[in-house]
Amino acid sequence: MSRRLTWLVVLAVVVGSLVAAEQAGRPPLTNADRVHALAGDFACPVCSGQSLGESDVPIARTIRSSIRTMVDDGRTDDEIRSVLVARFGEDIDYTPGGEGLTGLVWVLPVLAGGAAAVGLGLALVRWREGRSGGQPPRPLVVGGVLLVVVAAGLLVARTAGQRPTGGSLSGDIRSSTRTLLVEAGVADPEEAIVLYSQVLEVQPSNAEALAYRGWARWRNGEGLSARSDLDEAVAVDPAYPDVRVFRASQRHSDEDHIGAAADLVVLDGLAAPPIVGDLLAASRLRERIAVGLASDGDLLAALEVLDSGLSADPENGSLLAERGWLLVLTRTPELVQRGLDNLDEAVVVEPGDPHARAYRAVALATVVGRPGDATVDLEVFAAVDNPPVDLVDLLVGMGLLEG
Amino acid sequence: MSPVRSAALAVGLVLALLVAVFATRDSSRDRMTTHLVGGVAPAVVGMAVDGSIWDLDDQRGRWVLVNFFSTTCVPCIEEHPELVAFAEAHASADDVRLVSVAFDDRPAAVAAFFAENGGGWPVLVTDTGRIAVDWGVVAVPESYLVTPSGLVAAKVAGGVDRTGLEDLLDQVLAGAS
Repeated sequence: MSRRLTWLVVLAVVVGSLVAAEQAGRPPLTNADRVHALAGDFACPVCSGQSLGESDVPIARTIRSSIRTMVDDGRTDDEIRSVLVARFGEDIDYTPGGEGLTGLVWVLPVLAGGAAAVGLGLALVRWREGRSGGQPPRPLVVGGVLLVVVAAGLLVARTAGQRPTGGSLSGDIRSSTRTLLVEAGVADPEEAIVLYSQVLEVQPSNAEALAYRGWARWRNGEGLSARSDLDEAVAVDPAYPDVRVFRASQRHSDEDHIGAAADLVVLDGLAAPPIVGDLLAASRLRERIAVGLASDGDLLAALEVLDSGLSADPENGSLLAERGWLLVLTRTPELVQRGLDNLDEAVVVEPGDPHARAYRAVALATVVGRPGDATVDLEVFAAVDNPPVDLVDLLVGMGLLEG
Repeated sequence: MSPVRSAALAVGLVLALLVAVFATRDSSRDRMTTHLVGGVAPAVVGMAVDGSIWDLDDQRGRWVLVNFFSTTCVPCIEEHPELVAFAEAHASADDVRLVSVAFDDRPAAVAAFFAENGGGWPVLVTDTGRIAVDWGVVAVPESYLVTPSGLVAAKVAGGVDRTGLEDLLDQVLAGAS
C-alpha cells in the first residue's frame, strides 16, 4: 500500500510540476519580443489561416504597429487583448475566451477528461468487486497508462519544446538578457557585438539584438555580416522601428538610396518612439537620402521620401527646407516658386535653421535674381554658431559669404 | 438501454448540436466586421490633405459618412464617383457630411487622386493607421454612417453606390423615427 502511495505522490508531483511550469510561461524578453508574441496570438482579419505576425497585408502591419504602440505605452497583454477584441471581435483572438460558445473549447476537454477519469474509476471498482485474485483487465491498464502518458507528454512538449537554450524548465531569463542588452547599449562596438551575440544564443529571433548587433557591426566596418543581421532583424519583426533607421543608414552608405527611402517610408507608418525621430533629425538621414535620390535623377522619389516624413511631422523645418532646395535646383520657374514657398514655410517654423536660411539666400540671390531679399537670411546665417561646413562652402562658392 | 448505448447516444446528440450551432453562425469575417454598429463612433481626428485639422466630434448634429479608402484599391476607385454624387446631392442641404480616411497611402497620391477624380470633402492623411484600427477596419473600402448623436448607425463593407447610400440613410432614418 505504501509503495502504491509513493508512486501516486511521485505522479502527482511530476504532473503538478509540469502544469505549474506551463502555467508560469516564459515572459518575452523585450518589447519587440512582446510585440512578436502578441502578433502571433491574433488572427489577421483578412487572411486565411495567418496570424498578424505572419501576414504582411496593410491591415496586419497597421495592427502590429498599434500593438507596438500599446506595448511601448506600458499596457499589459490582457489590456492589449481586450482592445483588439473590442475593435475586431473575439474571432481575432487565437486564445478563446471563457464566455459564450467559445467557452466550450475550454469546457469540453475538461468534461471529456473528467468523464474518462470517472469511467476508468468505475471500471476499476467493478474489476475489484468482481476479481478473484487475478490481474486487472489488460485494456483497462493500457488505457489508464495511455491517459497519463499522453497528458504528461503534451505538457512536456509544450514546456520543453519552447525552452530557450540556457533556460531552465520553469526559469525566467528576462533579467540576464535584459542586462546584456543594457550593457551592450553602452559598450563600444566590439564589446557590444559580443554581448548581442550572447543574447542571440539564448534567443535567436531577438529582433532588438539582431538590429543592434547589425548596427554595431556596421559601425565596426563588418559590412557583410551587418547587412545580414539587419535584413534578418527586418524579417523577424518588420515593424521594429530601430532596424528601419539602421538599415536605411546602411543602404544610404551603400548608395542604395531607393532601398533606404523604402525603409524610411515603412518607418513613417510605424508610430516610432520620439527618440527615432530625434535620431533622424540629428543625422539628417532623410534629407541626405533625398539628396542622393535627386542626384540619381529621381526627384519624384526624393520628394516622396521627404513628403512621407512631412506627413508624420508637417512642421519639420529641415524637411521643408530640403524639399524647397531640391525644387529650386530644378530651375524650372513653377517648381522654383514652389521651392521658395517651402523655404518660406521652413523659415516660419524654424527661423534659426541654417539650411533654410542658406538655401533661401542662394535661391533669392542667384536663381530668382533678388539679391537684396537675401540679406536678412545671410545675416541670420552669419549669427548661427558653428554653421554646417557644407553650407558655408555653398555660400562662399556663390559669392554670398566671405571665405 | 445499456449504459454504453446511452453514452453513445448522448455523445452523438451533443456533437449534432455543436455542428448545428457552428454551422448556423455568422462567418468569422462577418462577425469581425459588424460589431461596431450600434456603438459610439470611435474618434476620427487628423490632418486633412489640405493641412486643416478635422475632428468627427465637431460634426455633432449632422450625419457623417466616414469612408476608409486607398488610392491603389480598385473598389475604392470604382466607388469614388458614387461618393462624389452622394456628396453633391447633399451639399446644398448640408445634412450629411463626408470624410475619407486614406489608409496605407501617401498624401501626395491622395491629393493627386482627388484633384483628378473630384470630391471636395476632407481627406485625412495623418494618424490613419490608428484611426483604422480604432474602427476595426479590415479591408478598404469600408464606410460607416454616423448619426448626429455620434453613434455608428450602419456599415458598408466594399464599395458603395449613391442609391445604396440614400436607401441606407432612409432606412436608418425610418428606424430612428
